[in-house]
Amino acid sequence: MKLVIRTENVTVRLGNEDIISDLNLDLEGPGLVVVIGPNGAGKTTLFQTLVGLVKPHKGKVRINNVDVTGNPKLAGKHIGYMPQLSQVNRSFPITGREFVESSILFRMKPPRLRVPGWVSRKTEEIVRELGALEFMDKPISELSGGQIQRLMIARTVVPDTPILLLDEPTSAIDPRGKLDVIKFIEKLSRNKLVLLTTHDPTVFKEKAKLLIVFWRGVKAIGKPVEVLKPEILREIYGEMVIPVKECVHLVDTHAV
Amino acid sequence: MLFEIRWLILITLAGLAFGVLSPIVTARKMMFLAAAMPHSALLAAVIGIPLSITYGLSPGLWAIIIGTPLPLIIYALEKKGVEEDVGTSVYVAATASLSVALMYYVLTSYPMESSLWSYILGDPLLSTWSDVYLVTIITVALLALLVPFMREQILMGVDRDFAVSSGIHASLYDIIFLLLLSLSTIGFMRTVGYVLEHVLILLPASLALLISKSGRDVVLFSITSAVLSAIIGLLLGISLNLQVSASVGLVLLIGYILAIVWRR
Ligand SMILES: Nc1ncnc2c1ncn2[C@@H]1O[C@H](COP(=O)(O)OP(=O)(O)O)[C@@H](O)[C@H]1O
Ligand SMILES: [Mg+2]
Repeated sequence: MKLVIRTENVTVRLGNEDIISDLNLDLEGPGLVVVIGPNGAGKTTLFQTLVGLVKPHKGKVRINNVDVTGNPKLAGKHIGYMPQLSQVNRSFPITGREFVESSILFRMKPPRLRVPGWVSRKTEEIVRELGALEFMDKPISELSGGQIQRLMIARTVVPDTPILLLDEPTSAIDPRGKLDVIKFIEKLSRNKLVLLTTHDPTVFKEKAKLLIVFWRGVKAIGKPVEVLKPEILREIYGEMVIPVKECVHLVDTHAV
Repeated sequence: MLFEIRWLILITLAGLAFGVLSPIVTARKMMFLAAAMPHSALLAAVIGIPLSITYGLSPGLWAIIIGTPLPLIIYALEKKGVEEDVGTSVYVAATASLSVALMYYVLTSYPMESSLWSYILGDPLLSTWSDVYLVTIITVALLALLVPFMREQILMGVDRDFAVSSGIHASLYDIIFLLLLSLSTIGFMRTVGYVLEHVLILLPASLALLISKSGRDVVLFSITSAVLSAIIGLLLGISLNLQVSASVGLVLLIGYILAIVWRR
């Protein structure tokens, strides 16, 4: 199984602004790659570009050596994408089960009238691992943000794609639950290429093989211990960087 | 008491069609756009009158030919970066004012007053069998193109980026849905009227949301409430001598209020 994400001179323009300029990424899995950067850095745009939802102004995106630039259908064969929590319309009362099972349903040929039995079994198994079994049959309109995020992670994992992109997967999960979920993600990254964005990089310090500091492009990339240094982070986070012991914390006042 | 089976057929089909459309509108948060449909449908209906007199064919058929593709304007604007609600506002402004201008022209130039009123108020009791055939074809098309894809249409509304990144061809679904919404609004205009159409597009799913615990429930309750209130409204209208589309609207509204009370 190949696990390669490569971008060639990718520039993404939204409105009149270059949100990403001239990006050349070359990531190979398996392993966990953590992307950090302040709000508006373009992290979400980066992920949307990698899965083909956003078409770059110029440049190419290759996933496992296939050109998937601006082609979500093709990119989706290799990548499972978890959007930010704010993307979900939480007012419509589908159940957690319907929500998670949609991942396989979407990947089936139409008409998608019935959910096959194996999908339900696989869904339950992964949802249980994520500690979401007890609320999976409730409507999402009655769930908390953190509960929905657990279901969103399950939904991304169920189709078993070799590459996963998780956009702020744990931003609304409570500190205790966060550790369990991160353990789960780390386990996945043993045989998948997993990229995630976060405002809380320290918890991934030991688990990530690469950390990327992002602001409209790659500002720094390397092993977490090499990159999580005040002088690197201060350049893009400014005074929000507080060194704690040998490690660095980002003061995060508005995680979505 | 006079009762014609075609009234029942028409009103049931109207309930069925709008009962299916309504949850998709709600899941995709397209309420404003959907409520704009009767405005362009009215415009199409008014344009249909002189066209029919000049070139033959029925005015209803002309309205469908001209009016069905109209909301693609909003879609095209959205592709150009205009937000859906902004595009819809422009669309409503344009179609509503054009239809008033044309209505004035039609009323002063053609002896069609009663027929125009039937578009605005709607009355299944004025229907003919050819109306029945037309809306039957529309409803069958709608069910064939929506029911097998109901899950995607709704799930897409819950998380569009996820659907697209899982291989769903979202713009195709968008266009099909928009055309069916428009087609139904025009096709049922004479049966339920311009005013009640707003209610039928929005209220069944809103009612269903109040009492549903799953996406499946929303679809089932929406269809059930729309069909039931259409039939009850018709029977009440005939027996109490009320205007039928008004009584359908009132029954649905009472259902909505009951659902609120039930939920407490
Ligand atoms: N459709 C759009 N048109 C114009 N600008 C956009 C659009 N979408 C996002 N942006 C801008 O792109 C920048 C990056 O956004 P985003 O990728 O969401 O950042 P992050 O996820 O790192 O917070 C922001 O400044 C945002 O305002
Ligand atoms: Mg973001």
